[in-house]
Amino acid sequence: MKLITAIVKPFTVGDIRTAVDEAGVHGLTFSEVQGYGRQKGHTEVYRGAEYQVDFVPKARIDVVVDDDHVDVVVAAIIGAARTGKIGDGKVWVTTVESLVRVRTGERDAEAL
Amino acid sequence: MNPYPDWLNPGDNAWQLVAATLVGLMSIPGIAVLYAGIVQKKWAVNTMLMAFTGFSLVLVVWVLWGFKMGFGEPMKLGPGILQSFVGKPRSILGTANQGQAVIPMLDGAMPKFRFSESTLAYFQFVFAAITPLLFLGSVVGRMNFKVWLIFVPLWSTFAYSINAFLVWGGGFWGQAHAGASSLFSTGALDYSGGYVIHLAAGVSGFVAAAVIGPRLNRDRERAVPNNLPMAAVGAGILWLGWNGFNGGDPYFAGTNASLAVLNTNLCTAVALLTWVIWDIFASRERKPTFLGAVNGMIVGLVGITPAAGFVNSFGAMIIGVVASSLVWMSWNWLSRTKPFKKVDDTLGVVHTHGVAGLIGGLMVGVLADPNVIIYLGNGKDVNDVTASGWLWGHHPAQILVQLCAALTIIVWDAFVTFAILKILGLFMKLRAPDEVLEQGDIGVHLEEAYPDETLVTGRLDGVKA
Repeated sequence: MKLITAIVKPFTVGDIRTAVDEAGVHGLTFSEVQGYGRQKGHTEVYRGAEYQVDFVPKARIDVVVDDDHVDVVVAAIIGAARTGKIGDGKVWVTTVESLVRVRTGERDAEAL
Repeated sequence: MNPYPDWLNPGDNAWQLVAATLVGLMSIPGIAVLYAGIVQKKWAVNTMLMAFTGFSLVLVVWVLWGFKMGFGEPMKLGPGILQSFVGKPRSILGTANQGQAVIPMLDGAMPKFRFSESTLAYFQFVFAAITPLLFLGSVVGRMNFKVWLIFVPLWSTFAYSINAFLVWGGGFWGQAHAGASSLFSTGALDYSGGYVIHLAAGVSGFVAAAVIGPRLNRDRERAVPNNLPMAAVGAGILWLGWNGFNGGDPYFAGTNASLAVLNTNLCTAVALLTWVIWDIFASRERKPTFLGAVNGMIVGLVGITPAAGFVNSFGAMIIGVVASSLVWMSWNWLSRTKPFKKVDDTLGVVHTHGVAGLIGGLMVGVLADPNVIIYLGNGKDVNDVTASGWLWGHHPAQILVQLCAALTIIVWDAFVTFAILKILGLFMKLRAPDEVLEQGDIGVHLEEAYPDETLVTGRLDGVKA
């Protein structure tokens, strides 16, 4: 089992959801986060004072999949998130040791 | 010493200034926060700044030339309608504005004003100012801000001033044309701007939206409002502000003003409830919605605007039901057909102001009641001034007059809006570039509606507190 985490532009979340669903994985978690990378922040001006805002709003996607689905889901996320401009984000994969479905107590592959 | 000239009535002057202030509040902050609350979070600042700048621009235009174009001496441009199409542009910056107000073309046809020209000019200004702010709702979310700054003065000059002169300044549609046909034995009736303001705003906004082009697809698909309580504040200011809008238009603090205020609120309450009922029984989800109720409220206010002091209170309730029902159908059904589906009228101004203003105007022709007295006669040789429609006045021809006046406004304002934008489009981009539209307020103004201090690294100008 792997955890796929993606940091992407917020407006791509709808397309990512569709793409992941079509890849055969029916469920993911998304959260609003702020961060910075190569994409520059911006300035804001209030009452004549200029402020530097170095964090950019991003969406974080977390989805746990079995090993067979890793490549197809990563490809699906990248396909939906890429605009070709700086700030498209990153995707990484980590190993998950165990997993429990809260309602039933099913474990690991059965809980996916 | 005497604070008042003989012709001035302090009660009338006070009411007219209060009414004008109430109407001004409808624009700022009324429309500004209503629209800012309904648009996406990323467009709230842009929307508010367009509203505040529009208000300011119109006042400058108004005192320099607009007021006299709407309410001054006629410019003789040719035969027929051209003879009384627009007033001569003149400024009112001199001290003569302390004198008694007069609309030259109406002198003798109504009682003499009991306040000064500066009162009349300011009262009429707030109407001129709110009109572009209304159609702001059609173009918000993509119009180039600099184009707005140029478009508003031009539109106010070539569309609004002419609308006002034609209907209110004693121009072509303010006159009877019995010589042309017995059907035209009366002028068009527009109590407070169902045509001059709302039909004009609906048509101009729709044409402007079509010429400027749509918002980003992404914004259209995610056009959720950002602050409903703020929209509630704006909507409430609009409703009660309308007491000045319709209550001020008789120009005297008399019984007709009182009836106009009562009718305005009655029609609005009925229209709001009508919309809620339609939502409950006929909307896709069968749920009453707050923003639906606000639409119904606005439709009621707009629908009664041309009629407020011409109809009895039963008529006001009828307008509320009919206007709200028809605009509900227009909003929910007509909007899914061409060309309404194709043109991106952001907040649907063509329905809530255009269609509603037209329906209200036509219904004046049906419901104007000759027992509603606008100005009293003397019981002998001078008759009461009243208006007659089909139902209570047995004067169905008024409906035709109303229709023809509406068509004049629709055609002229659509043409002027189209022409101004096409000409401006030769020199500048009417629509902001996509990369600016993606950012919204930060891209255009370097401000956002709800800044987050935890994301700010520091001040760039290095000033220490």
